[in-house]
Amino acid sequence: MTRANEITRRTFLSRGAVAGGAVVLGGAAGGLLTGCSSSTSTTSTTSSGGKPGVGSGPPVRGGTLTVGTIAEIDGFYPPNNHWDTNGFLYANAIYDPLMAIAADGTIVPYLAQSMTPNSTYDAWTLTLRPNVKFNDGSALTSAVVKANFDALKSSLLAGPALAQITGVTVPDGMTIVYQLEAPNPYFPAGLTTQVGYVVGEAMIKQVQSGTANATPVGTGPFVYSSWQPNDHFTATRNPNYWRSGLPYLDQITFKPIPDTTQREATLRTGGVDMIISSDANTIVNFQGQSGYQLVDSRTGVLGEPTVACLMLNMVTPPTNDLTIRQALAKSLNVTVLQKLFGAGFAKPLDGIFLPGSPYYGNTGYPGYDPSAARQLVAAYKAKHGTPSLELLTVTDPYLAKVVQVVQQMWNQVGFNVSVNEIQQANLITDFVTGEFQAATLAQFGAINPDLNYVWWSTTTISPIGSIGLNFTRMDDPVIEQAMLTGRHTTDQATRVKAYQTVNDQLAQQLPYLWLNQYLFSEVAQDRVQNFDNATLPSGKPQYSFQEGIFWPAQIWLAG
Amino acid sequence: MGKYFLRRSIQLVVVAFIISILAFLLVHLLPGDPSVTILGPNDTAQNRAILLKQLGLNKPLWQQYTTWLTAVFHGNLGQSYLNHESVVHILATGFPIDLELIVISQIIAFAVAIPLALFTSRRPNRPVDNVATTGTFGLLALPPFVIAPILVAVFAVGLNWFPATGFVPLTQDPWANLQHMILPSVAITFGSIAVYYRLLRSDLISTLQQDFITMARSKGLSNRRIMWRHAFRPSTFSLLAAAGVNIGGLIAGTFIVEYLFALSGIGFSLVQAVNQRDYLVVQGISLVVALAYVILQFIVDFLFTVVDPRVSRG
Repeated sequence: MTRANEITRRTFLSRGAVAGGAVVLGGAAGGLLTGCSSSTSTTSTTSSGGKPGVGSGPPVRGGTLTVGTIAEIDGFYPPNNHWDTNGFLYANAIYDPLMAIAADGTIVPYLAQSMTPNSTYDAWTLTLRPNVKFNDGSALTSAVVKANFDALKSSLLAGPALAQITGVTVPDGMTIVYQLEAPNPYFPAGLTTQVGYVVGEAMIKQVQSGTANATPVGTGPFVYSSWQPNDHFTATRNPNYWRSGLPYLDQITFKPIPDTTQREATLRTGGVDMIISSDANTIVNFQGQSGYQLVDSRTGVLGEPTVACLMLNMVTPPTNDLTIRQALAKSLNVTVLQKLFGAGFAKPLDGIFLPGSPYYGNTGYPGYDPSAARQLVAAYKAKHGTPSLELLTVTDPYLAKVVQVVQQMWNQVGFNVSVNEIQQANLITDFVTGEFQAATLAQFGAINPDLNYVWWSTTTISPIGSIGLNFTRMDDPVIEQAMLTGRHTTDQATRVKAYQTVNDQLAQQLPYLWLNQYLFSEVAQDRVQNFDNATLPSGKPQYSFQEGIFWPAQIWLAG
Repeated sequence: MGKYFLRRSIQLVVVAFIISILAFLLVHLLPGDPSVTILGPNDTAQNRAILLKQLGLNKPLWQQYTTWLTAVFHGNLGQSYLNHESVVHILATGFPIDLELIVISQIIAFAVAIPLALFTSRRPNRPVDNVATTGTFGLLALPPFVIAPILVAVFAVGLNWFPATGFVPLTQDPWANLQHMILPSVAITFGSIAVYYRLLRSDLISTLQQDFITMARSKGLSNRRIMWRHAFRPSTFSLLAAAGVNIGGLIAGTFIVEYLFALSGIGFSLVQAVNQRDYLVVQGISLVVALAYVILQFIVDFLFTVVDPRVSRG
């Protein structure tokens, strides 16, 4: 269902780099109606009857795992490149993050040995794990982490994500102290994202000296071997990996295969051992299929899901008028959209959180009510004339069908809606400069709601035409205050109330018209073992499958 | 003959010069500051410095052009500002894929179209001719994006004869290379078969009505000899012209097939660069593709003189 759009599926500002919420622009299409998120579900069984993605029997060393991915990335350098699902897949092969997410949702050390706050939570001390070396033989030290931070801070892309950090000091060779502008008990969550991946100093120096294609230097389980964009990325086993006995594989190769059908066909013909998909039909096609293991994100979301939605500009007429946004929401029959395009899995949302999340609540998000929408449009029309707006999307056959249905729904209540299909890069530019009225989008998916601050903060609003990460230009002091409260408090009840307030306020202000979760899946041949069963250095179970991202160190191939 | 080629060579140089100017101006026709437009969200100090140095944007336009052209002659077509891959490298890795797709698909197309046209032109409006004519109508109506999934479903997933996607370089494993290239080549060959067959059949029918064919028949020459020695060559003019245009169109024109079969050819790279506003990649590939097209037409012009020497005499 989302085949064609996947060629343009890229994140603009990666989850990690900026906020922790993925912006899957082209994939807004895919997101639309195919479900979503970051979680793990074991909805099918292997032919041998075991749990999908969980290894059976003793690990086997050796072999090459070939993975078919959704799209290509733009590079390996965290400060400058835009990592989406594919970017993190590559990164998990050759780098390690400072912090990681445990299966219970807690944020735990990875390259770090410990991370502790001061009593006021406005300074965090991170102690590095000893005896960790990069693949070039250099040691992981606090100076290297500081160099990474400096490169990130000076980056247009990643800099805003680090705005709350006022300084970084390195009291000794293994300790880094982050000074924050205000208390943040949840600060470590940010280091699970793109800004938390550490590259070797040699790579930073290469980039800073103007070397265009700096060779990745990391501490990860595999070592960069070759990358031919749009063809393959190959990494070979790191013989000196700091996690003893790992990885099991000799080599891992990622092959971007943008067309979902072809990616699935390649898996069936043995061209790859495993595929990643953001197309709900992949679940339909492989669920219960003998010889394959399917893991998908229909259940078990940690944090919030990636959400497919329609984004509205809150300063440009007519969508700057709340009644217009309400009319747009009330005229949108999401149930019909799901029936037409949802593959039977996607479920309508009324907010950014799913049932089961502590922050989930009845938001009062407007339901389908076309007569009320007509009245609102009529009232607007009496004052300002027929509300006309342009719905932006990326050039994509699937999205074209979806937005046509949306256009009809909106036109039926009195809007004059035109659809404009533009290229991905243009859409990104229009988002950051605020030059749109309505647009398709898939975004969020953060483990911690605080990571959305940059998208909704009043501090990241720019005038139309200037770059600002608050795409909708939503200037809402209630949300700003609630986000800051959620960031600063250690009291869970206060935090829950803060993010419920945010969720409620989003439903009231309607910068986004929620559609559904964005659904990721992994399908592997039976011989691929343990791809959804990673453990942390401490031995604790890891959050193994987030947004289609897996951790390759503990995967092995059965004979 | 010599004058003809001299004249065509001069024309080739002039056209190449015009192409180079148009390709150069591609970046400068963009609204606003070219460096801002080119770099977009990648407008880092590092990228800006590289770009200014490379394009000499602070110099007069003619100097920028000479700087750029000098770099082109030295094999420097710039680099992607998304992944920093050099355009030359993109072309070097993509061109063999396009070349193979074109060569294999055209071999198949000629191998099917020519014998079929030779056969049916001798027996027009007979059952075989009717079936072939109708069939080629059908082939023309089937675009590669329809054919490709069918081929994959049948020959890759169903029969497991060929891989569904991917590419193995010829130098690495010739057999695996061929296996990977068959389905994508077949997917684009149907349109060529239809066009070549119909053109050649039509011209052959016309040629077979000429007096010199009647003369050949009256001499008692065999049908095979008449067809191959007397009828075929003068009937290939339209075929040659169509092949020139068709093959030219396939240079970077196989995007859909490259996308479906996950081949990182020039067409795929070009469309991706356009989508991502990677202007220097678009500029570099456009220049090379346009030049390749012009050179191909030059070769076709040469082949015209082989088919009919009167062409070179004007």
